Amino acid sequence: MSEGRNAYDGEGGGGPEGAGGRRPRGRGGDRGPGPLGRARGRGHGKGASELPDELRALGRSLDPPGSGDAGGAGDSLGSETMVERVLGQILAEQVPVPVAGSRAARERLRTVRRWTRVRWRTLTAALCGLLTVLALTPPVRAEVLDWFDFGGVEVRYDPSAVPSPGATVPGCGRSLSLGQAERRSGFEPLVPDALGVPDTVAVTSEPHRRFLVSLCWREDGRTVRLDEFPAWLDVGFAKRLREPPEWLALGGQPSGDGVPDYALWFPRPHLLSFWLVDADGHRFAREERTAGPTLLWTHRAGAGEVTLRLEGVADKSRAVEIAKSLEAPSVK
Amino acid sequence: MIARVRAGEAEAYAELVRAHTGIALRAAAALGAGADAEDVVQQAFVKAYCALGRFKDGAAFKPWLLSIVANETRNTVRTAARQRTLAGREAAFVEAEPLIPESTDPAVATLETERRAALLSALEKLSEEHRLVVTYRYLLEMDESETAQALGWPRGTVKSRLNRALRKLGRLLPDFEPREGGDERE
Repeated sequence: MSEGRNAYDGEGGGGPEGAGGRRPRGRGGDRGPGPLGRARGRGHGKGASELPDELRALGRSLDPPGSGDAGGAGDSLGSETMVERVLGQILAEQVPVPVAGSRAARERLRTVRRWTRVRWRTLTAALCGLLTVLALTPPVRAEVLDWFDFGGVEVRYDPSAVPSPGATVPGCGRSLSLGQAERRSGFEPLVPDALGVPDTVAVTSEPHRRFLVSLCWREDGRTVRLDEFPAWLDVGFAKRLREPPEWLALGGQPSGDGVPDYALWFPRPHLLSFWLVDADGHRFAREERTAGPTLLWTHRAGAGEVTLRLEGVADKSRAVEIAKSLEAPSVK
Repeated sequence: MIARVRAGEAEAYAELVRAHTGIALRAAAALGAGADAEDVVQQAFVKAYCALGRFKDGAAFKPWLLSIVANETRNTVRTAARQRTLAGREAAFVEAEPLIPESTDPAVATLETERRAALLSALEKLSEEHRLVVTYRYLLEMDESETAQALGWPRGTVKSRLNRALRKLGRLLPDFEPREGGDERE
């Protein structure tokens, strides 16, 4: 049995050039083919003990060149490429998280579902019951997967979405009075108590006689900007981001329909695009540009709902405070 | 680890992929994916991700993954309607052959190549079950219980089929001499 390796030596015996090639291999020493062949043929027990080694060697020889041992540089490179390919495809095909994730994730999912259900009539017009989030971080890396935390979120890989560096919050331009803004836009701008009377007010007309009201405040040489859309935030809005937004609860008291208000906090500059739904249920207004830290939320005002986007407040808790300061029912 | 992936932790799945790319590629190659091995493996990882919800807690990931790789390989080969002929498959193996470290002698290299071809051709002649069990157990270097998990067979079945397959393989190999093979039958 100690001759275990001998048979390996003899393995070439059947090949046409076997005899010539046998010796240099030197694995089993200098044995003649005769005894070897016999030894191999005699007991299958032995054959069975060498064959496995040969088969293992065969298996290893299938590994791509350069992969070497498990820790080899070639190997880690290859697997790193595979990681990127796999994660990239998971993103590209918008594969959802394999299972209901953490409780927090499920809770969020439930919130979105409830929210969707409650606003279904409008949303049907807007088609889409899914949040669309375009994510894109080349190289596709770990944090990207965190996106899947959003139940029902579509994630698309788009390496082209890179915010321009050093973008600043755009100012509001020439100012109107709040009253003028209301007359022009057809709705009464919401002014958070926490910010007080805006320094500038602007109304931008969007296609189809829709309007966007922007309020601006100057703070320490920087601009705080609040965009208001007299529309609901479409759950099918898209946000092209390099990292996921954070879901924040706004105030404890759920509004009348039992859905707790929430806000989306985007901590870093990003390319922004989202859809809104007007009173007729038409989806409209999609916008894209680099924005600073942003809080996006909706607020019920009178008959309708207003979607607000706050930019230029870098501190999350302050942003939330500002959003909450709208909770006071009277805005005049 | 699986739990971390399910919790949506990104790096966890990246780690799984990283740790299993090598063996998965080998499996795809061994099962006949040829030049498609990388695509097959990529697809298998994505499918594994989707199917992670069905992964049994406490089970081993590797055999589970490799059974997906095997499936994917089958599908690919079938879809492309190019089930490789023995010759084509051998050619692929020979191409993929890395340097044999302990031998720079071309004669030796030739011998290695021949021996590989002989092994492969013998493997090819085995029944599907036997080929699979040998592949999982030895070419992919899994232990018996992992092999059993990957193939979905009881362990005893793995053991007996493996024995039979090895014996057949021994008989199929060219250096086997029939006059001495009296005790090689099952």
